[in-house]
Amino acid sequence: MQSKQRIFYAVILALGLVWIFVSADRDGASTNGLIPAPRAGFLAPDFTLETMDGDMVKLSDLRGQAVIVNLWATWCPPCKAEMPALQKVYEEYKSRGLVILAINSTVQDDAQAIPAFLAEYGLTFPVLLDVNNEAGRLYQLRSLPSTFFIRRDGTISEVVIGGPMAEALLRTRVEEILK
Amino acid sequence: MIEVIQSWFAPPRHTILLVLALWFGWWLAEKIVKREQKINEAAFSNLTFYGLLAFVLGGRILYALDNLAAFMSSPASIFSPNPQLFDPFLGGAAAVVTMLVYGQRNKLPFWPTLDALTPLFAALMVGLGAAHLAEGSAFGKETSLPWGIDVNGLTRHPSQIYEIVLAFFVLNLIGTRGPLPRAGAQFLTFLAWTSAARLFLEAFRGDSVLVFGSLRLAQILSWVVLAFALFALNRLQSTQSVAN
Repeated sequence: MQSKQRIFYAVILALGLVWIFVSADRDGASTNGLIPAPRAGFLAPDFTLETMDGDMVKLSDLRGQAVIVNLWATWCPPCKAEMPALQKVYEEYKSRGLVILAINSTVQDDAQAIPAFLAEYGLTFPVLLDVNNEAGRLYQLRSLPSTFFIRRDGTISEVVIGGPMAEALLRTRVEEILK
Repeated sequence: MIEVIQSWFAPPRHTILLVLALWFGWWLAEKIVKREQKINEAAFSNLTFYGLLAFVLGGRILYALDNLAAFMSSPASIFSPNPQLFDPFLGGAAAVVTMLVYGQRNKLPFWPTLDALTPLFAALMVGLGAAHLAEGSAFGKETSLPWGIDVNGLTRHPSQIYEIVLAFFVLNLIGTRGPLPRAGAQFLTFLAWTSAARLFLEAFRGDSVLVFGSLRLAQILSWVVLAFALFALNRLQSTQSVAN
């Protein structure tokens, strides 16, 4: 009985080993960050949006830099609450290659309220206008704020839905994407 | 159905599924302890409570210590409701240490207590699968099979559904069968089934961490855990045979 059980266990382990080799990812079935999608482990979907100053910003042009994409609106209380932390972290880390793209979900906001909002919180990072909900669609925006931490290679390291984000959260994630 | 779950429990609400699983698992474990009368009910209940408390507090405090520079700049972040400021592995370690200390002080027998906690672990595995589904994480690799689901424009294996189904199977196995003759057998059986399930299902995942070029790390780790569980089960059987 005992030896039969041992043989049974040995067969299970042998089958397990065979399965590991049979199911090895030889054809790159894992994403490896090659497919664009708004999820951790995927390539950040590319977009081109206009800034408040009329300049165009294309996400893929920032490859090589760590990027935080933050979707927000002026009427959203948690967006307001996390803006000072975002600004503080931006000031500390921009010299090390951090870029923050604050995408205003203009399709559901009042564009005229933005300058007063930026002045109130003293925001100096680029603010992009998502007038046609292009970024909202690409990033499957379901809730504001939504934040995407993007590594230098363009892959998403982490997604934080909702807020406000604590300053320590921002710092730990920025350190991660700056590596 | 999947869309409904993903809408109702979209992040950060997906953690509700884990809390529900935890509540159910705890209820089931206490019910079985009451029925089998192998260990003290009140001591078991306290053990679980202190373990959970240590998990929550330990996960946050140890995370803060691990990222001390970030928290020194903004100490108030320690009280932040952000669930991302949490290390589940360090929290788990804190829970294990707390439960070991409490168990020893209250003379709770090790293996029967671990067996009693097993329904809680099994329910949590179901909750974890459900949370993965709601969050859209732990997604599958591309497939042309008719039951594939759309993930960001690509048809993929519903790996989270596979995960839930197998976790339910293990929970059913653990939660419905009568007491096993050998202390530790319940937990080791759960460990063996769960690691075997992960070893099998990882092959259908599209987010595997690869090592040695193309091997999936989770499969290798699962195989090691499975080997340990089977070895320990075999030892239990041998000890029982000698005793008889």
